[in-house]
Amino acid sequence: MLLEMKNIAVNYGKINAIRNISVAVPEGKIVTIIGGNGAGKTTTLRAMSGMLPITAGEITFEGKRIDHLPAHKVVANGIAHVPEGRRIFPDMTVEENLRTGAFLRKDKEAIEADLEDVFKRFPRLRERRTQMAKTMSGGEQQMLAIGRALMSKPRLLLMDEPSMGLAPVIVEEIAQIVEEINANGLSVVLVEQNAELALELADYAYVLETGNAAMEGPADELHGNEHVRAAYLGL
Amino acid sequence: MLDLLAQTGLNAVYAASYISLVAVGLVLIFGVMGVINFAHGELFMAGAYAIVALYAGLNVPFFLAVAAGLLFVGCLGLLMEKALFRPLKDNPLGGLVASIGFLMILQALAVMGFGVRMVHIPPVTQEVIAFSEKVRLPVARLYVIIAAIVLLSALWYFLKRTKFGWALRASAQDPEAAALQGISITQTARIAMFIGAGLAGIAGALTAPLVSVNPHMGHSVIVTAFIVIIVGGVGSLEGAIVASVAYALVHTFVTTFWDGVLADIVGLSLMLLVLIVKPTGLFGSADRA
Repeated sequence: MLLEMKNIAVNYGKINAIRNISVAVPEGKIVTIIGGNGAGKTTTLRAMSGMLPITAGEITFEGKRIDHLPAHKVVANGIAHVPEGRRIFPDMTVEENLRTGAFLRKDKEAIEADLEDVFKRFPRLRERRTQMAKTMSGGEQQMLAIGRALMSKPRLLLMDEPSMGLAPVIVEEIAQIVEEINANGLSVVLVEQNAELALELADYAYVLETGNAAMEGPADELHGNEHVRAAYLGL
Repeated sequence: MLDLLAQTGLNAVYAASYISLVAVGLVLIFGVMGVINFAHGELFMAGAYAIVALYAGLNVPFFLAVAAGLLFVGCLGLLMEKALFRPLKDNPLGGLVASIGFLMILQALAVMGFGVRMVHIPPVTQEVIAFSEKVRLPVARLYVIIAAIVLLSALWYFLKRTKFGWALRASAQDPEAAALQGISITQTARIAMFIGAGLAGIAGALTAPLVSVNPHMGHSVIVTAFIVIIVGGVGSLEGAIVASVAYALVHTFVTTFWDGVLADIVGLSLMLLVLIVKPTGLFGSADRA
């Protein structure tokens, strides 16, 4: 396993946001976490990237314990997080945003090559490279957030609601990008409200309900599951 | 008349120089730490007392004493970050109150060390650049102007062209997202506090021979700095510089042609006017105000 989360609990004050969640991410796969509002999807992802302290359980990445590391150290281990709401740096240019993604890297030539790759993958970002990030559309900002994460040269990409607030055409575009990135060998954990999209993209899926893992299985199996269809796919 | 205008213009440039050094530091600290540093005027004062102690007291060469003042006050900034702002990280109001406490401590220390009276500092240089019979720029003032231009340009370059500069701006705009890029927020806070405090310190050190140095000198400086950053748009470094120049021009001209009290009134009225017309300040954006 590339990443393994075992029996994780996270509390917000006295409230258990997640109680007992285990997630395993195999190398090269897309794993999705779906569930309703407040089920603990984002909390789970934020625990993975060190943004929230866990109160129980353990997280290992490439066999190494990474729980208790602060967020800025988790990145150094090869995990990039595209946060909910994109969270690009609004008053920085597109290029500055991307280069900030490579903050920890020292390999200057490889950074230039990766920047070129990001621009190839997202031609729109190249066109806007000197523009302030806040002046871009939601879809472009999402691409920038993904590009920024790729600039850290991660081995695992965590994505929180990449489809949120975007027009269907753009969502389709983002979905394609996720597939391409994964096809190039990058493992992905995808948290999505849009369960249809998530199950379509993912190899394996976890369904969270009120802080617990309610179900898990291969994505296509869950897609056919009666309960999942009724509760999350609206079918 | 033309001479008087030119002379007043020069005076305004000098005032704009030290005001912008103080204001930019204040904005930088606010941007990165999210804290309004009420002790910023006292950091300016501490820089002036570094000159009192080293240059006037121990006969250390002036520019060496200025450099020491910069480092000393920069380190005071680091101390504030560690002792006050980091423990109160999730409590911006707490940070503000703690900085008021720190202001009082610094004032008390200055009184204990040097007394309440104004300290006389021997002039660094008597040289004057005479543009004409009546238009003259004392070289000691020129030092302040040069320091402001050099330091603010260097800061500009640092923020816009270097990796750590981007890290600083990223932490100011979204600390959580910055951490996700591998940026240590504690480290960027330290850098911001050192630079912000250091700028106030060097402004105090360089102006010390030109003003009356006393434990309460920080007061008028911080009031001016607050006006300037509100007019410029809280959080905007460009705004702080532009507003410093504008405020210094208005204030100096009104002081010269009418009087100082009226100049304060005009300055504050301008601030009110800006707040009415554009509540976010000249360069502020709604989402960051």
